[in-house]
Amino acid sequence: MNCQKYQILINKYIEGDIKDAEVAELKEHTQKCASCRNQFQHIDQIDSIMKDAFVPITSAEQATESILSQIESKTSQRVSTLPFAKQMAVAASIFLTVGLLLGFSLARTTIIRQPATGATKVPMHIGKLEGIVLVKHRDSNLWEALKSDSAIYLGDTFHSTAKSGFILELENKSTLELNQNSMLVLKLYNGETQFHLEHGKLAATLESPHPPFFVSTPHGRVEALGTEFTVTVE
Amino acid sequence: MPNSANSAAASDEKLIAATLQGDISCFGTIVQRYWNMTGALALSKIRDPIEAEDIAQESFLKAYSQLHKLRDPSRFAGWLSRIVDQQCANLLRKKIRNRTSLGGEYTTLETSAPAFKPQKNPGLTKSQTNFVRQTVSKLPEKFRKVIIMRFVVGLSVIQIAQQLGKRQGTVRVWLHRAYKILRKDLAPLLKEVQQL
Repeated sequence: MNCQKYQILINKYIEGDIKDAEVAELKEHTQKCASCRNQFQHIDQIDSIMKDAFVPITSAEQATESILSQIESKTSQRVSTLPFAKQMAVAASIFLTVGLLLGFSLARTTIIRQPATGATKVPMHIGKLEGIVLVKHRDSNLWEALKSDSAIYLGDTFHSTAKSGFILELENKSTLELNQNSMLVLKLYNGETQFHLEHGKLAATLESPHPPFFVSTPHGRVEALGTEFTVTVE
Repeated sequence: MPNSANSAAASDEKLIAATLQGDISCFGTIVQRYWNMTGALALSKIRDPIEAEDIAQESFLKAYSQLHKLRDPSRFAGWLSRIVDQQCANLLRKKIRNRTSLGGEYTTLETSAPAFKPQKNPGLTKSQTNFVRQTVSKLPEKFRKVIIMRFVVGLSVIQIAQQLGKRQGTVRVWLHRAYKILRKDLAPLLKEVQQL
């Protein structure tokens, strides 16, 4: 029997690119041809054997539920490596921000205009500098090495390399420490300097009492209630 | 339907776009769609089914956190499969490290005893299941992926080529070679199954 045509259909069946009419035609042929029937049956067998052998223990529904709940808990708990009480304080603040804002006055970071460059200097300076930290000003593509006397501008992006880090001293005795392999951006948000941690780890020590203090991350904003906290973005 | 973007029939692209806009439930639909594939890819590399499922879960979590970096959402499954590869490689590396430092045991799928009792495994016995997994795990990397995408997920050659960013002709050749190996190596099992 000349099975050339049906061999093509068998290949298409293996490839999953066969039309229903072609399957019907192939089936009809396999009634008469043992060799093609054998091949055709093997495909179905391998198909079902593969599906059966790789059935996961956890059903897709359970897995979905578990994965979504992990995503939800991760996005609301980006704060880690903290003593439990402080962690709770920060965690609680994420949910209770509005009410807790009352009673604090917004201490806005004073902004000094530099007309020459158009860049805005912010009253912060480098406390301690270890290793190589790169800084890039806004509207610039140039990364420079950060020096201990570098002026800080709004829109600056800091990138700490491996085994590097620095402490940023704010005007109110608060300090921010950027750990290694991290990226911090100073953004303008409602007229204030907003600290945006793109990735890595940022540890803050705030004076007590302190005005509302936020750190934004690609996953949302966290507010600090306590005086010490750490934000990690993986 | 409450949300037209999130339906079982929605394309990967639509679901990913909605996920990136904050609709996590759309990511849930994606997980449902590719859970078996991800599990199978991990199971064909990692002996322990519990560990393999952990890998599958971690792969989805990683995919979620990196989703904004996915350039072509129509290739989500191919991208996800590479994340699974990485996660498996990380685990195996860690195991080897532990073995050398702590003298712990390290077993590959090949040397393992069948210790797995699947919850719902309609056709196969425990040892048959293990035999199939071992056979698939011995396939060359690209064959293994293509055969899982074809038979576990049910994608066609055209779809697999799109997902992996390869030419259809290339994937077609891989699939037929992989199929030939499987058919030969699984021959004793095919006989057993046929007799039932």
